[in-house]
Amino acid sequence: MAKRVCIVGGATTPFDYGPTGFENVEKGAADCIKETQKDVPDFHLRDLDFMIYSHFSVHFGHQLCSEWIIHDHLGLCGLPHIRIENGGNTGGSALYGAALSIMSGHHDVVGIVGWETMDSVRQSQGSEFIALASDVRYELMVGGIYPIYYAAMANKWMRDNGLKEEDVATIAVKNKNNAMDNPKAQWYRNDHRYITVDDVMNSGLIAYPIKKYDCCMMTRGTAFMLVTSEEWAKKHAPDNYTVVDGMGLSSCTIRAGDRCGYPSWEKLYGKGYPDMTEFGACRKSAEDAYKMAGITNPKKELDFGEIHDAFTTSEAQIYKALGIADKSNIAKFLRDGETTMNGSIPMNPGGGLIGYGHPVGATGIMSAIEAHYQLSGLATKKHISKKTTVDNAECGIVNSHAGTGTSISNFIFRRP
Amino acid sequence: MAKKIAARKVQKKVARKPATKAKKGKPAKGAGKPAAPKAIGAVPRKTIDVKDSRDKSFKKGPGFHKQTWFRPEGVTEPGLNFVGYEIADNDVDFNQFLHYDQLYTIRHGQNSRFFRNLLKGKLVGTKCPKCGTAWVPPRTNCWDLDCDLQETKWVEFPLKAKVHTWTVAGWSGRSSLKKLPFVLVYAKIEGSTVAIANYLLDIKPWEVEFGMPLKVVFVPEKERVGAVTDFHFEPADGWKPGKMTPEKERIKKLVAPIYEWVKTMK
Repeated sequence: MAKRVCIVGGATTPFDYGPTGFENVEKGAADCIKETQKDVPDFHLRDLDFMIYSHFSVHFGHQLCSEWIIHDHLGLCGLPHIRIENGGNTGGSALYGAALSIMSGHHDVVGIVGWETMDSVRQSQGSEFIALASDVRYELMVGGIYPIYYAAMANKWMRDNGLKEEDVATIAVKNKNNAMDNPKAQWYRNDHRYITVDDVMNSGLIAYPIKKYDCCMMTRGTAFMLVTSEEWAKKHAPDNYTVVDGMGLSSCTIRAGDRCGYPSWEKLYGKGYPDMTEFGACRKSAEDAYKMAGITNPKKELDFGEIHDAFTTSEAQIYKALGIADKSNIAKFLRDGETTMNGSIPMNPGGGLIGYGHPVGATGIMSAIEAHYQLSGLATKKHISKKTTVDNAECGIVNSHAGTGTSISNFIFRRP
Repeated sequence: MAKKIAARKVQKKVARKPATKAKKGKPAKGAGKPAAPKAIGAVPRKTIDVKDSRDKSFKKGPGFHKQTWFRPEGVTEPGLNFVGYEIADNDVDFNQFLHYDQLYTIRHGQNSRFFRNLLKGKLVGTKCPKCGTAWVPPRTNCWDLDCDLQETKWVEFPLKAKVHTWTVAGWSGRSSLKKLPFVLVYAKIEGSTVAIANYLLDIKPWEVEFGMPLKVVFVPEKERVGAVTDFHFEPADGWKPGKMTPEKERIKKLVAPIYEWVKTMK
């Protein structure tokens, strides 16, 4: 019987672009660990028996194996360490790896450090670096950067599902305004203003139907999370741990255009699925996570989520893949504000990638930490006010997402 | 070993520019678009004979003795260099500027025919002899687990396609900024199961439609570089844009400032 996995604590540096006060990643990691120790006084670095490093791009890091710098700096030499990289799903995949290591019984106390330093090159160069995760041979030089690929997918999806630009713009409004209650969020620290649907509609074109405010931001940031066995959590953090009740990890094609007629998807979900519109890997990994956690009606049983809103359109596509909305009601679901703090299932109370930021290797860790805060009662303390706390949250979903939907993980977190 | 070094030296004399989009000089009709940036094809080409390190060390596999280069002047490979720094106003914080630029060799191996045929102005893809599925871009083994990695056969495709989905870009990567705004489509080449991404040119950005018929157009032979940028899509002959709709008006409005912005770019 696999051991149960718990999240005991975690913290991020402030997310920013340019000077943050945490420029060197190893100091940022140390600060995140110190903050975690404040929340979990029993936790000492000597308790760790495995370290997983979550980092996406060597191009941004201008350093191979930069995890070696951090690990060494933290005084952890001798302890086993590996790095996990899986595009935008790097953080989720690192958590998946940490969970497996605990489930197997081989490790008890696992630290994850995630980071990205995307401000080390110009933004337009950064877009190109990220695009190196598309198929360079067939896609890179035909104008392709990720927002363009996502826009092409979203354009068809929105048409198929009867959605307007204004409908998905509500997601940017929700996430950026939620971030205004989070002092570590990039939107709070930089632009720092509440926005409306009109602001989104009037922001500059990136790739139709995506405008500037529909997009997440490029970010410098670091995160640390402590993942342990249930025994350790019960003994050392009895009042503030969260249980990882279910998890799933799934995969899809690197080139979005190859999602027409892909045999393994059509065998699983029927002819024509996922096309260039649905996130098959999100649906499959969510179904696996629900099954493991015994969830049969996610819309009812999930209290909230921290999900991968690289774009407003993809957050909407994720709602559908998670099974909390379908073609018949997705438009109404958005127009009714079901995922706002006052809705039935708040999504991204922490601000998400659009509000908090997207330092790729740290992003999935940030989402998991925010979900843990909601479930362990820390959200009110970490955020500025109570308005981004999900009242009486018992169960949340954490989603991490890569490529054009090429690798996606989902986790069910529960209050014990 | 000495031989290998000699071969490298030959390579260094001229170096390849990372491929950028070479396109037909024709901008979107009536769009007020500035002249397209100089296509790479315009850079003088040089085909040279080189020694191959395989000549002595390895006997298997084809040798490579002819290289064609079209690297623009000024694109160099300086390797790793610290090229500057900045000191913060507090006289404490310090940032360093590191520059590096590398030449990569993309070895296309079993996919070579696709790229080699682009130079000839042909689109080839592959087909599974077991299940009959055909792909552009090509796959060397079938994707259906029932076909158990069946090796595929090369087939030529017609230069016709249909828009599967599309977007109008107002922002892009560093090397594509001057081409903005542009239409990027995923289109299915006639006979292919999957869609391939490329530019749709010779159209106003707001005129693109789902399902519209396209033709595949290659750049002039002399300008081809053996990459997907050797071709693009254009509306099929006889295609006429539909009437303006609120969505088209919206896109027209969204791209207006992009034209202005691109004019100011250096």
